[in-house]
Amino acid sequence: MATAWIPFLEGRYSPTLDMWPIEAKEFNRIYKFYENLREGKFTTTKCQKCGRVAYPPRVICPECYSDELEWIELPKKGKVIVVVEKWGGVPICYEPPLIDAWIDLGKDSPVRHILSRMINCPPESLKEGDEVQLAVFDVPAHPIELKKETIKAERVFFAFEPVKK
Amino acid sequence: MAGRRACIVGGGMCKWGVREASYIDMVQEAAKACLEDVPGLKPTNIDGLLFSSTFVGRRSVQANTAPVVAERLGLKPTSICARVDVLCAGGSTGILLAKGLVESGMADVVMVVGCEKLYTPERWQVQYDEIAAIDHDWDAPQGIGPPPLWFAMIAKEHMKHYGTKREQLGMVSVINYGYGYTNPKGHFQRKLTMEDVLNATEIAAPLGLYDCCPLTDGSAAVIIASEEKAKELSDRPLVYIRGGAQVSLHSVSANWPGEHLGDWPHLRLAAKKAYANAKISPKDVDVAQVHDCFSISEIVEVEELGFCKKGEGGLFVESGQTKLGGAIPTNTDGGLLSCGHPFGATGIRQAIEILKQLQGRATNQVNGAAIGITHNLSGSCVEHTIVIYGREPRK
Ligand SMILES: [Zn+2]
Repeated sequence: MATAWIPFLEGRYSPTLDMWPIEAKEFNRIYKFYENLREGKFTTTKCQKCGRVAYPPRVICPECYSDELEWIELPKKGKVIVVVEKWGGVPICYEPPLIDAWIDLGKDSPVRHILSRMINCPPESLKEGDEVQLAVFDVPAHPIELKKETIKAERVFFAFEPVKK
Repeated sequence: MAGRRACIVGGGMCKWGVREASYIDMVQEAAKACLEDVPGLKPTNIDGLLFSSTFVGRRSVQANTAPVVAERLGLKPTSICARVDVLCAGGSTGILLAKGLVESGMADVVMVVGCEKLYTPERWQVQYDEIAAIDHDWDAPQGIGPPPLWFAMIAKEHMKHYGTKREQLGMVSVINYGYGYTNPKGHFQRKLTMEDVLNATEIAAPLGLYDCCPLTDGSAAVIIASEEKAKELSDRPLVYIRGGAQVSLHSVSANWPGEHLGDWPHLRLAAKKAYANAKISPKDVDVAQVHDCFSISEIVEVEELGFCKKGEGGLFVESGQTKLGGAIPTNTDGGLLSCGHPFGATGIRQAIEILKQLQGRATNQVNGAAIGITHNLSGSCVEHTIVIYGREPRK
C-alpha cells in the first residue's frame, strides 16, 4: 500500500456516497421511524400541542415549533394515481426498469400522497386505481466506529408492492 | 428620487458539453468570455464575487470554493465573496443577491459565475450522484434522484387532466433544438425532426431521450453593476434587473403543493410576486427563458407564468407561440434541452441571452424586445426562481 493511501479505493465507508439514510440512533433523533418500519409499521410524528401531523417525521412541529411529539401510524395501503417505468439512465444501484408510483393514501390519511418505488411488480402490470401496500426490505449495513469496536449498523427501508388480487 | 438600480452589463460562457477540463478551468474560460463582453473592465475593478455551484465539492474535492475562484480569476473582493447553492437556480439566485447588494449600496460591480463539472472519471457516478440533489433520506431511496421519473409522472398527469398530446411535448424539443442549432457554445448543434423525437430511446414514457436535457459540464459569468457604473463600463443600451421572486413550498414529494402533479401553484405564486415586484404583467413580456429541463416542464411553465391559459401550454407551443414571430419567443438560445444543464450555470446562461435580446444583439433576435424573463425550477420542482429584466427601470 502506498504511504498516502486513498480510503475509498481501500473500501472505507463514506456517507456522502450512500443512497440510504443513516438510520442508527447514534446519528439521528428520528431513528424510531426505522425501528417502527422494521416492525412493519409506517409512522410519522404528530404534535401533542396543536395536533399537526408532519411527514417526514421530525423533532419539532413545523406549525408551532413544539418539541412534544408522538409517533402515529399512517395507512399501509393506497391506490395508484400514476405509475411510470424508467428504462434508460437508471442509477447503478438498480436494475431497469425502475418503477415508481404516485400513491393516494386516502382522504382520511393525514398524509394524502406518497411517492414510492414499486417492488415485486412485473413491468407493465400496474395501472391507475390498483391497490398497493407497504413493503419493508433490508438495505446494506454500514460500519460505525464506537469507542472500542466497529459495529455493523443494520438497516431497512420501504417501498410499495401490488396487493395480490 | 429613485434609489440605486442594478443593471446587467455583460456576460459570457465557456463551451458547454462533456469537457476535458476541471471546474476551475471552466470558470476561468467563462470569466474571460465575460470580460471580453465588457471591454475596459479589469478584474481588480470587480468588488464582489458570487459563485454558484451545487456539485463542486461532491464530484471534485473543494469546499469553501469562493476564495479559490476569486484568486484564480484575479479578483480581490471587498464587498462579498461567497458561494450559492440552489441547484438549478443557483445562477439566478446569485443574480438576485447581486441586485440586492448593489441596490443596498454595499457593492458596485459584482461578478456572478456558475459552474458544474458533472462528468467524473467513472461514469456511474454521473447518474448516481443525483441522489444528493433531492430530499435525500426520503425521496432518493424511492429512485427519483435522476429526475425523469418524476417529470414523466408530471407529463402523464398533465395529459390526463388537460389532454396534452405526445406530439406537443415533442414540439418543445424540435423548437428548442432549432434555436440551439445556432448556438456554438451549447452542448448540441443539431436540428431535430418530430420523427427523431418520437423514435428516440425511451427514458421514462412518455419521455424519450430528446424530451430530457443532457447532463453537461459548463460555466457562465455575468457582471451586475450599479446604473452609474454600468454607464461607465458600456456604451450599449442599459438593461435593468427590474425584479424577481423565489418560492419554495415543499421539499419531499409527499408534500407536493398542487391539486395534482400538472398543477404548479408554487410557480404561479412566484410569477405573481415577480410581476408585482417588477411592475409588469405577463402580456408585457417580449422574450422568455424558461426551465425546459424536460419538454413537459416548458409546457407547464408557459401556463403558470401566465403566457396562456392553464391547460393550454401544449397548444401554445404547437401553434408556434414560442417561435420567433410567436407571442413570446422562448428559449431562443436553445434552452436546457439543447445547451445542456450545468445546474449552477444555467440561470446565468439564461441571463446572458436575455441581455443580448434586450440590447438587440441576439442571434435569434426578437425585434424590439424590451422586457425579458428568466425562470428556473430546482430539483424535483421544489423551488421556483424568476428574474425580470427591462430596457427601462421599474418606475
Ligand atoms: Zn404543533
